Amino acid sequence: MKPMTVNILVGAISLLVIASLSLFVVDQRQTAIVFQLGEIVRVEDQPGIKWKLPLVQSVRYFDKRIQTVDATEPERYLTSEKKNVMVDAFVKWRITDVKQYYNSVGGDVTQAQIRLMQTVVSVMREEIGKHTIQDVVSGSREKIMAVLREKTNADAKNIGVEVLDVRLKRVDYPSEISNSVYKQMEAERKSVANELRATGFADSEKIRADADRQRQVILANAYRDAQRLKGEGDAKATAIYAGAFSHNPEFFAFYRSLEAYKQSFKNKGDMLVIDPNSEFFKYLKKGAGK
Amino acid sequence: MALNDPQWGNRKNGGPPDLEEMLRNFNRKLSGFFGGKGGGGGAAPGGVGGGIGLIVAIVALVWVGSGFYIVDSSQRGVVLRFGKFTETTQPGPRWHFPYPVETVEIVNLSQVRTVEVGYRDNERNKRPQESLMLTADGNIIDIQFAVQYVLKDPTDYLFNNRMTDDKEVVRQAAETSIREVVGKNKIDYVLYEARGQVAADTTKLMQEILDRYKTGILISQVNLKNAQPPQEVQAAFDDALKAGQDKERQKNEGQAYANDVVPRATGEAARLMQEAEGYKKAVTADAEGEASRFKLILAEYNKAPQVTRERMYIDMMQQILSNTTKVMVDQKNGNSLLYLPLDKLIQGANPGSTQLPDLQSAMRQGTVDQQAQQPGADSHARENALGRDRSARP
Repeated sequence: MKPMTVNILVGAISLLVIASLSLFVVDQRQTAIVFQLGEIVRVEDQPGIKWKLPLVQSVRYFDKRIQTVDATEPERYLTSEKKNVMVDAFVKWRITDVKQYYNSVGGDVTQAQIRLMQTVVSVMREEIGKHTIQDVVSGSREKIMAVLREKTNADAKNIGVEVLDVRLKRVDYPSEISNSVYKQMEAERKSVANELRATGFADSEKIRADADRQRQVILANAYRDAQRLKGEGDAKATAIYAGAFSHNPEFFAFYRSLEAYKQSFKNKGDMLVIDPNSEFFKYLKKGAGK
Repeated sequence: MALNDPQWGNRKNGGPPDLEEMLRNFNRKLSGFFGGKGGGGGAAPGGVGGGIGLIVAIVALVWVGSGFYIVDSSQRGVVLRFGKFTETTQPGPRWHFPYPVETVEIVNLSQVRTVEVGYRDNERNKRPQESLMLTADGNIIDIQFAVQYVLKDPTDYLFNNRMTDDKEVVRQAAETSIREVVGKNKIDYVLYEARGQVAADTTKLMQEILDRYKTGILISQVNLKNAQPPQEVQAAFDDALKAGQDKERQKNEGQAYANDVVPRATGEAARLMQEAEGYKKAVTADAEGEASRFKLILAEYNKAPQVTRERMYIDMMQQILSNTTKVMVDQKNGNSLLYLPLDKLIQGANPGSTQLPDLQSAMRQGTVDQQAQQPGADSHARENALGRDRSARP
C-alpha cells in the first residue's frame, strides 16, 4: 500500500514539473516568440495554452495591444512663412510583425518608441514646412495628420510595427512670439471696443436728434394751429366790435378814449402834474374868482 | 460572451443565474474537464489511505473554493482560460476554474471617471501648456474643461490598448480634439457664441478617436469650465464686452430721452391748442359783451348826447384824479424853474415799494398788482391791445 501511494505522489509531482517546463500560456493581450537556443522557432500569436520543449526552448512575450508614444515636450518647427511654431504629437502604434520587431529593435519598447518619434519629427519638419501656420492650426490639420500617419506607417513597417494614428496636440507660438500675439489681440479688442462705443454714441445721437426734430415739428404745428385759432378769435371779435361801434363812430371814439384814460391813470404811483387852467378845473377857478 | 464553447453552460440568457444552476454548471464543467481521463477521477483515493486522502480532499476543496468571486452590479467580470478570453460575466456570485486554468479580471463599467484638462483639481490650478491654444484667426484662448467618461465594453477596454492609466489616453484624445475644434473656429465664436457647440464637437471627435482604437471608453460629457482670453489680454476683452454694454446703454439713454421729449412736446402742443381755443372763446365773448354794453350806452346817449358826454367826461376825470397822485402847478403865476422831487413823491405814494425794486418798477407801469388782484385785468389789457389795433385801422 505505502509504496503505491508514494509512487502515485512521485508520478504526479514529476508530471507537474514536466508540465511546468513544457507548457506556457499566451495571454489574450500578448504574442509570444519561441526561441530554441537563441533562434526563433515559431511565433505564437493566438492566446491559449501552448507547449514547447523543456529546457531547450524559451519564450518571450510581447504586448500586441495599441500603445502610445507621447512627445514629452513640444518641438520647434518652421512653417512655410518662416515662422516658428511649437508642435507636439502622439503616436498610436502596435506590433504586427513580432519577428521583424524583435530583429530590428531587439524587442525593446523604448527603443521602438524613440525610433517612431524620430520618424514623426522628421516627417513633421517636412510637412509643417510646406504649410502656413494658419493651415497647421486649422485648415490642413487633418490632412497633415493623415500624411504623418501614412509616412510614419511606411517607415514603421521596417520595425514590424503598424502606426494607427499620429495626432497633433499642441500647435502654439513660442513664448517670445506669444507676447506680440497678445499685443495684437489687445489692439484688435481696442478697435472693437472703440467701434462699439462710437456706434453706440451715433445711435444715441440719432435717436435724440430724431426726438428733437419731432418735438420741434409738433410744437411748430401746434403754434401754427394755435395762431390760426387765435386769429379766428380776433377776427370774430373785430367784426363784433366793428358791428357795434360803427353805429356811432364819433361817440365810440369818445367813449373808448375815456376808458383808455381810466386804464392809463389809476395808481397812486401815477403822477399827474396838472395845470389848473384846464377845462376840468374851470369851475374850481370860477368859484374862486367869484 | 459569444465566445462560449458550446459545451460550457448557457450564460447568454442575460440575467444572473441562480445558485442551483451555477452548481449544476460547475459540476458539468468539472466532469467535462476531467472526463477525458477516465471516470471516477474525483473519487479515486476513496478507499486507499484515509489521512492522505483527507489532505488531498481539503487541498482540492480550497483550490476549488478559490475560484469563487463576486461581480458587483456596476462591474463585469472577464474570464480568461489559459490567457484566452472565454466569457464576460454579469453581476452576481460567480465561479471560475481556479488558477492556473482560468483567471478573472473585474472591470468597473458604470463608475464615472473624470479627466481634467488645462487644470488639476481646482480651476485656479492652471496648466498653461494645456489650456492655451490657438484659434482659427490666430488668437490665443485659455480653455479649461473636464471630461467625464465610463467604460462601455470591458473586453475592448482590457484587450485593445495598453493603458497603464486610462486617464492619460483620454487626456491625449481630449487635448488633440479640443485643439482641433478650437483651431477651426474664431475666438469670438468660442468665447461668446457657441461654447455648447464647442463642447459637443469635442465630445464627438474624442469619441471618434477613442473608437478608432477600440478603447471601450464612452465619453459621457465634456464640461467647458472656462473659456476666456489669456490673462495678459483679459482687461482688453473685458473692456470690449463693456463697450458692447455701453453701446446698449447709450442707445437706451437716447431712447429714454426721446420717450421723455416727444410726449412732453405733444403735451405742450395740446396746451398751446387749448390756450388758443380759450383765447378765441374769451376774445369773442369779450367782444360780444363790450359791443352790447356799447350798444346799450349808445341808445341812452342818443337820447341826450350833450349831457351824457359831459357826465362821462367828469366821471372819468373824477376816477382818475381820485386814484392818482397829483400836483397842481399854475404855470402862469411863476416863470421861475419849478423843482418837483418826483421820485420822492412817488415813493411817498407807495410806502411798501422801497423794499422790492423789481416790484416797484413793475408797479410804476401799473400792471402787475392790478392784474394779480383783478380778474378783469386781462380783458382790460386786451382792450388796450384792441384799441391799438383799431387806431391802426383807417
